[in-house]
Amino acid sequence: MVREITMKKYILNSIVAATILFAASCKPEIETPAGTTAGNANFSKYIAVGNSLTSGFADGGLYLEGQQVAYPNLIAAKMATVGGGAFTSPFFTEAQSNGSGYLKLSALVNGSPTLTNVTDKLAYRDAAMHLAKYTGELQNLGIPGMRVDLAFAAPYGAANPYMERLLTDSQVGTVSYFQFIQGRNHTFFSLWLGNNDALGWATNGGVTTDATNVLTDKSTFALLYSNLVNALTAGGQKGVVGTIPDVTAIPYFNTVTVAALLNAAKAINPAAAAIYIQTSTGAPRIATAEDLIRLPFQSSGLFGVPNALGYPYGLDPRNPIANNWVLDKDEIVKVKDFVNSYNSSIKSLATSKGLAIADTYTYLNQVKAGIAIQGVNINSAFITGGAFSLDGVHLTPRGNAVIGNVFIDAINSTYVSTIPTIDISQYRGVKFPN
Amino acid sequence: MKKILLSVLLSVPLWVLGQGFQVNLQGQKQIGMAGAGSALPLDEASVFYNPGAVTFLEKNSISAGVNPLLFKSAFKQSGSNITEDVKNKIAPPFEFYAVWGPKSNKWKLGLGVYTPFGGLVDWGDNWSGKYALTSLNLKAIYFQPTLSIKITDRIGIGAGFVYNHGDVNLQRALPVNFPDGRSGHVTLDGTGTGYGWNAGLYIKTLSNISFAIVHKSKVITKLDGGSAEFDVPNSLRTSFPAGNTFNAELPLPSTTTLGVGIPLSKSTTLAFDASWVQWHIYQDLSFDYATNTSALADTKSARNYRDGSSFKLGVNHQASDKLALRAGIGYAFSPVQDGYVTPEAPDADRYILSAGVGYAPTSHFEVNASFFFEDVKSRKQKNLETGLDGTFKTLVYAPGLSLTYKW
Repeated sequence: MVREITMKKYILNSIVAATILFAASCKPEIETPAGTTAGNANFSKYIAVGNSLTSGFADGGLYLEGQQVAYPNLIAAKMATVGGGAFTSPFFTEAQSNGSGYLKLSALVNGSPTLTNVTDKLAYRDAAMHLAKYTGELQNLGIPGMRVDLAFAAPYGAANPYMERLLTDSQVGTVSYFQFIQGRNHTFFSLWLGNNDALGWATNGGVTTDATNVLTDKSTFALLYSNLVNALTAGGQKGVVGTIPDVTAIPYFNTVTVAALLNAAKAINPAAAAIYIQTSTGAPRIATAEDLIRLPFQSSGLFGVPNALGYPYGLDPRNPIANNWVLDKDEIVKVKDFVNSYNSSIKSLATSKGLAIADTYTYLNQVKAGIAIQGVNINSAFITGGAFSLDGVHLTPRGNAVIGNVFIDAINSTYVSTIPTIDISQYRGVKFPN
Repeated sequence: MKKILLSVLLSVPLWVLGQGFQVNLQGQKQIGMAGAGSALPLDEASVFYNPGAVTFLEKNSISAGVNPLLFKSAFKQSGSNITEDVKNKIAPPFEFYAVWGPKSNKWKLGLGVYTPFGGLVDWGDNWSGKYALTSLNLKAIYFQPTLSIKITDRIGIGAGFVYNHGDVNLQRALPVNFPDGRSGHVTLDGTGTGYGWNAGLYIKTLSNISFAIVHKSKVITKLDGGSAEFDVPNSLRTSFPAGNTFNAELPLPSTTTLGVGIPLSKSTTLAFDASWVQWHIYQDLSFDYATNTSALADTKSARNYRDGSSFKLGVNHQASDKLALRAGIGYAFSPVQDGYVTPEAPDADRYILSAGVGYAPTSHFEVNASFFFEDVKSRKQKNLETGLDGTFKTLVYAPGLSLTYKW
């Protein structure tokens, strides 16, 4: 009997011991090299040079939430594990967190979006729409609207409110972006600039009216871009450059399709047969699927409105959709040719300097077709695609995380570093009204 | 002007089954031997392991046992330095058996209630793979009345009818965001039933080496009218209507087992089982929603499972009249092919180790305990459908205890 009690105790004790063992136990371990080395790069002071994408511009505006998830900020946070230092950005204050103001999705009516402007907590300091100044250390140097050509034009610093807010009074109009980014003692840089040298022209329907919508000359681009790269590598610094996406890969040009317009017209007048556009050359003609209409056209209130002679806008050769609303197929060929030229300049310069190349051109073309990453489907569809914000050009937080990883992958493969990747699931797409 | 099509949001499938869902915990003695024992009439759990051996049990008996199971899975996204672990949740596989027959007769009746398939995985609502899955709770409870007949003194056959009661609760995040930035969420919850059978042959040779052939049929479990609850922003409510339901099919595979029992001495017996799990029936997974919208289409996703298999070797040592000690090792090949691994069943080939002890204080009463451990190999995968890309590593711990009354 004594033995039986001992045995029962033994069994009981064994079970208790086993339970304690596995409760405390042996979590599964997964070893990876991520986050262990900077390789042959030095991330202690990273600066990000670029345009609106670099600044965190989204939903048609620059505002705090967007700034905080700009791809350089996400990259910098991950660099911290491999020797990266602090990363400073010209954040708007909480009180002025809505910055320039931005678009929000306020309703979906039968699947059609209603976009409204956010107008509270803005950061304008005067009626001339100058933004509240930011002073202090800066590493995110992204300026919405910045172009390779205008980076060398000092007066642009006065005309661009996003640059003006970062300059002291004496610098405004006298310091170019090229000068502004220098002398910052960086050890590593990213350079994603040049998009607007093509996009400015494209988003104005292939019409040039001022310096912001010129299609930058190819050789000028190559020369100025090399000046930028030379300045940023003057101290032997390493870095990563981004290629310029195909402008037709963005929802801005793929949402208001000719077919959608025609269907809308037919719903009202079944006799509607074609959409007419004015191109930069020749007489008005019937639009085809190869002609891209700009996203803001859908809220312009122009479509179908009769002119003085009674011809409905866009539905009659005598009242075609104006040239500036349409990137017609010839203009598309032209802008693609320029983007390809810019990209070959960027790539050959980067290669000659041994820089990493984040090929966003190739990547966003894949996104256009639709990709599934980490359980999320992302494509370039407006609103539902998840990658592009409500302006149809700039990225959502999710899009920034995805692009951030394209940069990180490029950096890691070039410099044998192991910057951890960004968890894209932590970043949102478009916010839907509740 | 332009209709927003949200169908992309739901084009990702919702669940899969794997070896990970096959729960090899149906009797403490066999568990202690890594799950081998189809060729040994060890106890009433033969109702599950081999109905043909049931008639060779010496006594009538009734038993109940439980194996609290801790499925510890970890995931690290490719390129990430963060390891994410499933929450500690205890799944309760259990077994109940009764065997009765007139003494010295050629037949016995049996009843088994056990849980051959199940899964409890909770990655939490905000892990990096949340858009593929946040949690799964799957339970299949088989009820199996059985008849076992001695054809000769050395050959027995048996067969049972299987009724399955299945419960599934599957949740994941949806990549649509509320105004506060949080993600949408979907919960699919359903109950289903299915039918099958379990039959076995037991042969004890003149050398006392025994053999077993057992086939457990597939059980196609139909889930009808399960609830599909979508937590989405109100502006998307028309796309994801409230009160929606779904139908789906859960194909639980058949298993064919060949077993050998070898008496090494009077007190020590070896058991070896080779099992072939016919997972190939799991070619695709379809969800049929009662209400479809432009955003919510029925889904059909390729699974392309191949057959799985396992090899288990166990030893039972009767240390004294009252004390038995057991141990086992095993290896199982995953049915999940590259590109189809998911967080529901982060499956890979696995090692099995087990130990057990039995104690019979009287001739009527017996208590058995076991400890079962599986080391599922680390597997780096990119899922073809969801793009979830990373390394899974899983360890399974299951202590168990059963009580038996014999007469």
